[in-house]
Amino acid sequence: MSAAAMETSIKRPRFAERRSTRKAVLVWSFLAPSLLIFLLYRILPLGWNVVLSFEAWSPLKPAVFIGLENYQEMFTDDDVFWQALWNTLGIIASAPAGIAVALGLALLVNSNIRGRDVYRTLIFLSYPLMTVAVAIIWRWMFDERVGLINYVARSFHLADSPIPFLNSFTWALPCVIVANIWQMLGFYMIIILTGLQTIPANLYEAAEIDGANSFRRFLRITLPLLKPSLFLCFVIGMLNSVTSFDLIYVMTNGGPGHATEILVTYIYKLAFNQTRFDYAAAITVVFFLLLLAVTWGANRLSGGNVGAVEHD
Amino acid sequence: MDRRTVLKTGLAAAGSLAMPAYLRAQSNKKISILTWNIADQEALFKEEFEEFRKANPGVEIEWLDKKGPDLPAFYQTQLVAGTAPDVIDIQGALWVEWAANGALLDLTPYFHNDPAFVKMFNPDYMSAFVYEKKNYLVPFYVAKTLLYYNKTMFKEAGLSAPPKSFDELLTFSQAMGKGEKTGFLTLNFDWLYWPLMKMNGIELLTPDFKKPAFNTAAAAELLDRLAKSTASGAINKIAWTGRWVEPNGAFAAGTVGMLQAHSASYFFVKGQGRWINPDTLGAAQAPGDWSTPTNHGFGVSKSSKNPELAFALVKHMTSVKWATRLAQIRRVLTANIEADKAGLDSVKADDPLAYAVLRTQLEHTDKMTGNWPLANDAQIKEAFWPEFQNAVLGRKDAKTALADAERAVSRVLRRA
Repeated sequence: MSAAAMETSIKRPRFAERRSTRKAVLVWSFLAPSLLIFLLYRILPLGWNVVLSFEAWSPLKPAVFIGLENYQEMFTDDDVFWQALWNTLGIIASAPAGIAVALGLALLVNSNIRGRDVYRTLIFLSYPLMTVAVAIIWRWMFDERVGLINYVARSFHLADSPIPFLNSFTWALPCVIVANIWQMLGFYMIIILTGLQTIPANLYEAAEIDGANSFRRFLRITLPLLKPSLFLCFVIGMLNSVTSFDLIYVMTNGGPGHATEILVTYIYKLAFNQTRFDYAAAITVVFFLLLLAVTWGANRLSGGNVGAVEHD
Repeated sequence: MDRRTVLKTGLAAAGSLAMPAYLRAQSNKKISILTWNIADQEALFKEEFEEFRKANPGVEIEWLDKKGPDLPAFYQTQLVAGTAPDVIDIQGALWVEWAANGALLDLTPYFHNDPAFVKMFNPDYMSAFVYEKKNYLVPFYVAKTLLYYNKTMFKEAGLSAPPKSFDELLTFSQAMGKGEKTGFLTLNFDWLYWPLMKMNGIELLTPDFKKPAFNTAAAAELLDRLAKSTASGAINKIAWTGRWVEPNGAFAAGTVGMLQAHSASYFFVKGQGRWINPDTLGAAQAPGDWSTPTNHGFGVSKSSKNPELAFALVKHMTSVKWATRLAQIRRVLTANIEADKAGLDSVKADDPLAYAVLRTQLEHTDKMTGNWPLANDAQIKEAFWPEFQNAVLGRKDAKTALADAERAVSRVLRRA
C-alpha cells in the first residue's frame, strides 16, 4: 500500500468518526428540548413522588421521613384502596369487551355494505368527543327521572320502577364501563379497520380454494394477523380506562360510596380533598407499577410488537 | 408661590398625614381575591371594587372565581407555590384545616381593634369561624339546613304539620312513602345529615375531639331504623347515594314528602318544580331545631403581603351596604344583622316562600351541629360516611358498620 493510500485509509475512519459525532450531536440537540421537558415534567415529579411516598408531608408543613408507613396503611388498613384497585382492574378487564364489539363493527364496515363510510363516521364520532361531554350525555341517559334508558325500560315493561343506575351500588360501575367503552369504540374500530385492510386478499382466496369456511378464515387468518392491532387497542384502551378520571368525576364522582372509585380518582381525592399528598403519592407509586406491569404483560403477550403493521 | 398653591399643598400634606398608615403605604398595591362559585355576581363585585379603589387610591384588585370542586385544589397549589390570594372565600369546614396548617391569618387582633365591626354579625354564625379561640373568617354569606315539606303530599297522607320529633319524621315518611312516592330525603355532603343523629342525642366525637363517641346502642338503633325505612321506601335511597342535584331534583319532581337541605336548595328546587308555591311547599325547622350550616366566609392568607389592606377589603365587602346588596340580589343571608333585615324585607313581598325559607336561617342559630372545628374534618368525614352509608343501605348491619366506622375514625384521629 502506498503512503498516500495509507493516509487516505487512516483519514477515512477519522472522517467517518467525525461525521458520526456530528450526527450524534445534531440528533441530541434536536432531542434535548423534548428530553428536558420530559425530565422536568415526568422524571423529576415521578422521582419526587417516590420520595414523598416515604414521608409525612402536607403544604406548609415540613416533610418527615416515615419509612413504609404509608404503604403499610395502604395494604393493611385501607378498604377504599382495595375497592379502588379492584374497580380499576375491573375497568381494565372490560377493555377486551369493547375491543370485541369494535372488531365486529370493523368487520361489518370493512365489508361491501351500502353506506359503509357513513357507518364508519357514525361509529368513530364518539371518540373525538370531549370526555366531559360523554360523561354528561351518559349521565342523562342513565338518569332515574328523565333518562332515556329508564324510559325505554319502563315503556317495554322491563322495569316496574325507575332504576337509579348511577346511584346504585350494583349498577354504577357497569354504567361507567359502558360509557367508557362507547367512547373508545370508534378508536378501536379505526385501528382494527386499518389492520384488516393490511391483510392481503390472496390469503383469503387461497384459504377459500382450500375449502376453509368464513369462520375458519376469520380464526386462522384475520385474528392472527390482527394481533398487533388488537393489542395496541388493548394497551391504549387500558391506559385510557384506568386514567378516565374526567368520565368518573362527572358521572359519579366515585360514588355511590366508593362503588365507582378507581385509583386515579381516589388519589385525587386524597391529595386535594383530604390534603394527604404523602399517602396519595404512595398509592400513585403502586398505580404506576400496576400500569407498568399490565403494559409489559400486554406487550409480551403480543410478542413484543404492539401496534406493528404486518406486511407480506 | 401664590396663596392658593400654598393652601393646596398644605391641605394635601395634612390629608396624607391624617390617612391611616396602611393607606399611606399602599400606593400601587395589588390585592387578589378568590371567591367560590359566585361568578354570577360579577357586576356587584365590580361596583364594590370600584368603591374600594376610590377610597384606597393606587390599589389594584385582582378577582378570580373558581367552581366549587376546583377551589380547594387551586388554593392548595397556590399555597405550595407561595402565591396564595390575599383574600379567600371559603365554604364549609375547609378553613379549619388551612387555619391549623398556618395558611390563614388570625383575625382576632383585627376584631379586637374594631369591636363595632364584630357586633354587626350574628354571634352564632361568627363563632362558627373560631378555631382554638382564634377567629379566622368573616361571614360572607350563610346557610343552614331546614326541612322542606310537600304540603300536597302531607294533605294526601292526612298530615297537617311538619314533624316535631324523629319518631314523627319516620312515621310521616312511612305514611307518604307509597308506590313511586317516598317520604323523606336529605342532602348528605358536609355532614348535612348530622341533624338526624343530633336529634337522637348522638355525638360524633368526645368533647375534646380525641375519640369517637358515636358507636353507641342508640346510634345502632337509629341506623337500623333508618335502614328499615329506606328499605321500605319511606326514605328515598337517593338520600344516601345522591350528591346535590339528585336529591334536590327528586324533591322537585314532587314525589318526595320532605327534604332536609340548606336554603340554597330552595332556588334550585323552585326552578325545577312547577308545583311549588306557598300553598304547596312548606319550610320548617327539622325536629329538635337542629341544623348543619354551609357557610361562606372571607379569610386572609397568612402569606399576604398586605394583610391590613386585605382585611380592609374584607370589611368593605361585608359592610352593611354591600352585604345588603348581596342579600337583596342573590337572596341569601349574610349574617350581617342589619343587611339580613333589609334583605328579608325586600324578599317578603316579592317571594313569600323564599322569605319563609330564609327566615329559618336566622332562627335557632344556637342549635347548629356538624360544624366541628376539626383540622382533619375531610378525613373524618371520609372515614365515617361510607360505613354510615353501608348501614342505612342495608349492606352491613348497624353494629358492624358503626364498629368499622369507629376503627376508621380512630385511625384518622391517631394520625392527627
